[in-house]
Amino acid sequence: MNEPLLEIRDLRVGFQTDHGLLVAVDDVDLTLERGKMLGLVGESGCGKSVTARAIMRLLEQPSGQVLGGEVRLEGRDLLPLPLEAMRKVRGKEIAMIFQEPMTALNPVHRVGRQIVENLLLHEDLTPAAALKRAVELMEWVGIPAPDQRIHDYPHQLSGGMRQRVMIAMALSCNPKILIADEPTTALDVTVQAQILDLIKRLQNETGMAVILITHDLAVVAETCDELAVMYAGRLVERGPVESIFQSPLHPYTKGLMDCLPKLDHPPKTMLPIIPGMVPSLRDMPRGCRFAARCPNAHDDSVLSERQPWRECSGGHGVEACACFASTL
Amino acid sequence: MALLTVEDLKMYYPVRGGVFRRTRAVCKAVDGVGFSLEPGETLGLVGESGCGKSTVAKSVVRLLKPTSGRIVFEGNDITRSGPAELRGFRREMQMVFQDPAESLNPRHTIGQILEEPFVIQKIGTRGERSEWAAELLRRVGLPVDALGRYPFEFSGGQRQRIGIARALALKPRLIVCDEPVSALDVSVQAQVLNLLLELQQQDRLAYLFIAHDLSVVQHMSDRVAVMYLGKIVEIATATELYRNPRHAYTKALLESIPQVDLSRKRERKLLKGDVPSPINPPAGCAFGHRMRHPKWQESVAMDLRLQEVSPGHWVQPCPCCTT
Ligand SMILES: Nc1ncnc2c1ncn2[C@@H]1O[C@H](COP(=O)(O)OP(=O)(O)OP(=O)(O)O)[C@@H](O)[C@H]1O
Ligand SMILES: Nc1ncnc2c1ncn2[C@@H]1O[C@H](COP(=O)(O)OP(=O)(O)OP(=O)(O)O)[C@@H](O)[C@H]1O
Ligand SMILES: [Mg+2]
Ligand SMILES: [Mg+2]
Repeated sequence: MNEPLLEIRDLRVGFQTDHGLLVAVDDVDLTLERGKMLGLVGESGCGKSVTARAIMRLLEQPSGQVLGGEVRLEGRDLLPLPLEAMRKVRGKEIAMIFQEPMTALNPVHRVGRQIVENLLLHEDLTPAAALKRAVELMEWVGIPAPDQRIHDYPHQLSGGMRQRVMIAMALSCNPKILIADEPTTALDVTVQAQILDLIKRLQNETGMAVILITHDLAVVAETCDELAVMYAGRLVERGPVESIFQSPLHPYTKGLMDCLPKLDHPPKTMLPIIPGMVPSLRDMPRGCRFAARCPNAHDDSVLSERQPWRECSGGHGVEACACFASTL
Repeated sequence: MALLTVEDLKMYYPVRGGVFRRTRAVCKAVDGVGFSLEPGETLGLVGESGCGKSTVAKSVVRLLKPTSGRIVFEGNDITRSGPAELRGFRREMQMVFQDPAESLNPRHTIGQILEEPFVIQKIGTRGERSEWAAELLRRVGLPVDALGRYPFEFSGGQRQRIGIARALALKPRLIVCDEPVSALDVSVQAQVLNLLLELQQQDRLAYLFIAHDLSVVQHMSDRVAVMYLGKIVEIATATELYRNPRHAYTKALLESIPQVDLSRKRERKLLKGDVPSPINPPAGCAFGHRMRHPKWQESVAMDLRLQEVSPGHWVQPCPCCTT
């Protein structure tokens, strides 16, 4: 019973493209405990959404493939499950809110019908009861005039309302795990606060665990228990939120914290940035992937050698690149 | 002369309602919005999800035909312009969208997407166009080998940068940015914001800048307008608005900004009341109605047009929300 709710080991995910196999997620380990909220952050393109889709087994087909690793839900590896069994896991045990609601909602169906179909798939309800429940769900996530809105097509809703429809669908079957891929990115701060509160409340009521993918570090600081930082397909740092915010270890994590626009920064002036770009997936160094942009990088040896993982105190771990490992 | 003037803009969408879906109702997405924008200026536009920001944005670049009101761009009334006339203005004003999945054609390569504005405007040879496309990619910090790939091969943030690159193609004077950085992580966000600021300084670009992140809006904007349920409730210079908010909704927004402050896991003050609907909006002050403010009733009979409370600071003069 002490096993974690979700345990991901050595997850590797790749895409078959015209230019050969691109490895987008490379040996990622993550652990999610019951009732906890894990934040997942990292530079755009670092593989957060791909990791989430791999857990759900919803990678782009046929190009996307899991190349190795395990995704254990209460001890059971999901990766080898037959599709039929996986379909039951999805929605009922692990639900996901997608980053771009327009790609996840079907544009030619009314949103009400989409919620109803999702309910009918997982719950034993009559169509009339499902419709009633759909209206309740929409009201619950704060969509005004839900009995009118269920007849709308996705393009008739504002960005924020589409996102709330997605949230209603994801939470409709009381999943054990919610993977929320930037669920509040499209929402204003007051609604964001309400949605995060809603997720937190549901968490308290049902013990649901959450993986929150976001780039908003302030949201992480306010809501998450644990934080994992990815860079270019790899996990570079992981630990309790307080510990990472108080003493970030990896130079990339430090850089991220410096980039935050602060309310006291002089307006219309240049913000601090992390100079340079993420290396291309086609041309990843074997070793430290951040070296080309790293303020401490002193020689190129870290590029060729895979840098070791180091566990520090209190569950705080980091990819301990030679450029700073001696300071740990 | 102002680059852009918007007067009493209204955009009503027809909607079906009721159990039998027969009764037609209107959704008053934008209900009397006015502002102006000078060359080289940034006007930030913030407000609750669904309050009509994107509808204002799409009306300004005339992707929508407003129900009423006036949109004047460089002295030309474009409120009723047809497609041929608009094509000329498209060089001068561009839009970056909130949801890149909505705006990038999935069947076109990035190269085709970036060359399209030149093709539509019939400028350049094939060779020049592909050179310009490569240059645009470089400007937004993406590798040139992206040209031959398709939108689905990119992450959300990378796709947003492609949208920005396309908007820059024709060197416009106004870019309407609808949440241009919402999909970006902070380090890329900082790069894109710096890029937008640089372009503004070089070319005197003006931005109508919509975003949910209020610290980003403050950083980018000269002036900020706050919308609530289809109307602007407050408008002022960025410094003034953040320092001295006058409308209760503006205050609620500022108080909800998430903070990196580990000393207190904040018990947030959540906004209460039902999120209002632009279908059958309440009379009088919508926010006061939502908050069930005792003085809301007084606002019903009042003229709620913005009033100047100090130089350049305009606010809706309702008895319930304005101090
Ligand atoms: N179908 C695909 N084919 C090829 N490459 C892909 C595909 N989907 C994603 N990728 C690549 O995988 C990498 C990781 O993408 P992912 O969407 O996980 O990024 P992310 O961390 O979610 O970024 P963002 O914060 O911008 O959403 C990117 O470099 C992307 O280009
Ligand atoms: N094509 C349409 N048909 C009917 N109603 C629409 C249409 N487009 C938008 N609406 C409605 O108009 C209102 C304003 O939508 P808009 O997209 O402008 O909001 P927004 O302020 O951009 O919100 P968000 O911050 O969530 O993106 C919403 O109630 C929305 O449902
Ligand atoms: Mg993503
Ligand atoms: Mg919008």
